[in-house]
Amino acid sequence: MKKFISLLALAALLAGPTFAQPAYSGPMPVPPSDTRTDALRRAYLDRVKEVLVWYSATAKPDKPETIGTGQIVAKLALHQDAGLVSQRIIELMKQPQTGDMFWMFPWAAISFLGRDQLSAEAKAAIRDAWRTYFPMRGDTENHWAMYYSSLFLMSELYPDDPAGSWFTGKSSAENRAEAKGYLIHWMDLATTIGQGEYNPTHYIGEYAIPMLYLATWSKDPEMKIRGHMMLDWLMAELADNTLNGVLRGPNARTTEESVLERWNGLSSFFSWTMFGNTPPPAAYGGFGIFFAGAAENYQLPEVIYHIAVDRSQDYIQRDLKRTRRRWRYSDQFMPPVYKTSYMRRDYAVGSYQGGQSDPIQTHVWDVTWAVPDPRGVHNTLFSMHPYASTEVLQMYFTEQPDGLIDSLSGQGKPSFGVPDKILGASPYERVFQDLDTVVALYDIPPGTSYPRINGFFSKDLTQITEDKSGWIFVQGGHTYLAYRPLAPFHWEHLLGYRQLPSAHGYKWERVDKGEQGDKLLVSEHLKNGTIVQAASADEFKSFAAFQAAINALPLEFRLEPVPVVKLTTLRGKQVTFTYGQAPVVDGAPLDYTKWKLFEGLYLNAEKGSRRLTITHGQLKRVLDFNTLTITDSVTP
Amino acid sequence: MTRTNHFSPGWAAGLRLLALLALPAAGRPLAAAAPADFYLCAALNKGYVTGSKITTLSGLFRRDGTGAWQHIGYNDLSIAAAAFDPRDPKVIYTAALNGCWRSLDGGKTWRQTNGWDITEGRDVAVDPHSPDHVYLALPDGVAVSADRAQTWVRRENGLPDRGKYTQTIKVDRAHAGRVLAGCESGIYLTENGAKSWRRVLPTAATVDDIQQAWNDPRQWAAVTQSDGAWASIDGGVTWKRFPGVPADHALYNLTFDPTNQRRLAIASWHYGVLTTEDSGATWTSRNAGLPEPHRVARVGVDPDTGRLYASVVNDSLYTSDDFGRTWRRSALEGSVINNFITVPGPAK
Repeated sequence: MKKFISLLALAALLAGPTFAQPAYSGPMPVPPSDTRTDALRRAYLDRVKEVLVWYSATAKPDKPETIGTGQIVAKLALHQDAGLVSQRIIELMKQPQTGDMFWMFPWAAISFLGRDQLSAEAKAAIRDAWRTYFPMRGDTENHWAMYYSSLFLMSELYPDDPAGSWFTGKSSAENRAEAKGYLIHWMDLATTIGQGEYNPTHYIGEYAIPMLYLATWSKDPEMKIRGHMMLDWLMAELADNTLNGVLRGPNARTTEESVLERWNGLSSFFSWTMFGNTPPPAAYGGFGIFFAGAAENYQLPEVIYHIAVDRSQDYIQRDLKRTRRRWRYSDQFMPPVYKTSYMRRDYAVGSYQGGQSDPIQTHVWDVTWAVPDPRGVHNTLFSMHPYASTEVLQMYFTEQPDGLIDSLSGQGKPSFGVPDKILGASPYERVFQDLDTVVALYDIPPGTSYPRINGFFSKDLTQITEDKSGWIFVQGGHTYLAYRPLAPFHWEHLLGYRQLPSAHGYKWERVDKGEQGDKLLVSEHLKNGTIVQAASADEFKSFAAFQAAINALPLEFRLEPVPVVKLTTLRGKQVTFTYGQAPVVDGAPLDYTKWKLFEGLYLNAEKGSRRLTITHGQLKRVLDFNTLTITDSVTP
Repeated sequence: MTRTNHFSPGWAAGLRLLALLALPAAGRPLAAAAPADFYLCAALNKGYVTGSKITTLSGLFRRDGTGAWQHIGYNDLSIAAAAFDPRDPKVIYTAALNGCWRSLDGGKTWRQTNGWDITEGRDVAVDPHSPDHVYLALPDGVAVSADRAQTWVRRENGLPDRGKYTQTIKVDRAHAGRVLAGCESGIYLTENGAKSWRRVLPTAATVDDIQQAWNDPRQWAAVTQSDGAWASIDGGVTWKRFPGVPADHALYNLTFDPTNQRRLAIASWHYGVLTTEDSGATWTSRNAGLPEPHRVARVGVDPDTGRLYASVVNDSLYTSDDFGRTWRRSALEGSVINNFITVPGPAK
């Protein structure tokens, strides 16, 4: 059976030996006092250089096995050891190639970085591998972004080569035309009806790196500007959705680790590199080196930088996204995803409307609070329905049904088929968010795996108080949180995962950290719901005052025949939310058809427009894919 | 342990159908031809995950004169099916993750025939009466080429807008332009080269395989993910369910035995191998000697010897010389076989 899911734990393979990395193991980054353009630029380049130097130092000339693609990229970017690198490339090219589209972009980068450094033999060895090795194109949009960007650039580097010299059996011109066609198609989708793999904690690299490469190396002016604009687009979204550099929910795709330790994703490498407001993950997220290798060719727009670091003003952002494509067992090919984000200094609340977005790694909603140092902290709260279904996997994949769920564990997705999982979406969840209130309703058919709701309660919460009213009050950082389960529940320890050595696929063991670990609120009722309200501790004289305020709010709910909640929020909104119906706020039903591509304080775009306006204070940048122009302006 | 599934009295209509299936051959038995070529499409995963560093040799394999499997062409674990030009066996088509590849020189060189708008080929078939015509089953429908896969056009008139996921496609070897497609919502038939399709069997879930009998081109059989196994004796226009074949779990493929017209076998992850030796009147589980759980992905029959093959997922290929009564662990350790392909030899 074809294995269809790319593994970002591949990053570990690429990382090289682990020893101290200055930014990863050092103190929290300090926001710069000098925010002038050239000062920000210098700081950015310093961070990039840290990555390159660290990777280069992991390469030991007497140990060829320590010199992989990451080390080669680092040395070429630093203009070091061209002879050694050329020799190692020739050795590597003699071995069987593997890795598919993950193979393509490092070798494309090496080919461009090494144009004036590598020996003719090394260059020829790489070039010939693009004839003899047949990388699969993959089955996700991130796969295709890597595949086609790499193929496009290599076909530009060797612009007139005949069909017989490429694994595709197509000439350079044919490869370029096909690659360009797809990349424009993907950009059209993203800039009209929304990105598919939106806000991914890890896969952001699989988009940002190819876009950087197009912006850096494409000779085609259209693809060069398109790459630049899409990279701006991605970084603007990252800036808008991060709380002090930490990307929170919802996420089309994240991982078992990142959904708890929200900082622990490749997205934090980009926050660190671009904004300098959080540490990078271990080994710079694995793929960070492949961005760093060309990063000097990108300049983050100032307006995006300020969006990322300014949390002085609360803001709400509504975005339109879409699901991964559905091949079968669904009436819709790429249903819309309506995403809401509410950002404050002390916490952020994010959600989409529920239902299935990606088959495996979706995270639907959470409240994530700010912490002084996010490393090792599980600074998030949410509930979810642990849904596991072969039919849903078949909706998105072309695989046969049996063994699909079991095989996921061996592919780095250990929790898909277990009832205590906390990662994934469900077709039986409906979510509504108004500012910092979230209502999640569940109506689970009998016989569904699994018949329970899991509420995640972090080890890092304090003041956990089960109130007789039915509310559970907790504090996370400087944030007060109220969590209301709508059906009886019990508590369980949340078991973690520890990866075991394995030559073939991934193997795991579960780890119980006891009372020191995270906890699950488990409610084994099919008709169910969760209400969460959040507030800054500054808004109340005391935790008790917050509890009293929540308890004073009118709340009615019932679970039969379908869950219905009618409440007044902490912000004074009258919300009625019925499972399967449009939410009603202050008497007006929410009309999702009016949802814009982006609507908020900083990012705005009409659906179908191909035009994103990015603003902060007096600064404005417009990315217009209709005219392929970037327009900066400063409001007087 | 074997288990025989006897049909119930309610299956009288099916019985009449199956009796017809046992009629003397109306067509040329394959065994009467020169030795056939026998291929398989194998993925030797060994823990491979996209992006990982494990090296495997997967793709198209051909059985040589010693019975060993020789790799042909490029290394691709995603090859789901292959087809050959009957005029020239050096012309090979594969349906794979990248779409459809073609070789004109017996596998030495290849071309990805499609662009970005075609992906994840599930099955590929060549019209033997019009071999420039190639049909490609896709997760979003059907594409047809009239020029040996040089160019492709979508031909989906009559397929539903949603529900046209196509897992398998087979050309009627008796009539040019007559094709059966196994889709998510049933079996669809075209009699005009895919200019229009009509549904001849509705199903609740994907049709996993369709096969035409070797001895009589009017006889067809199909297996499905949730609706059991089916037979047709009128060229796929009408279908009757095989009694005795369970339908609670998916059936992955079926094969006629080219050497014995009364024998068929079915592969299933859950049920293992099911066989019939009386044209479908009774079916027997033939799993003695196969690992538990069975996890059979594919069955195939050697067109020259009648040897039955079963692919046990990520385990090995198994062979049986007594049509499943006993099994022997064979080659391609760690593999999953996605398809067996028989290419008839020239008539004697």
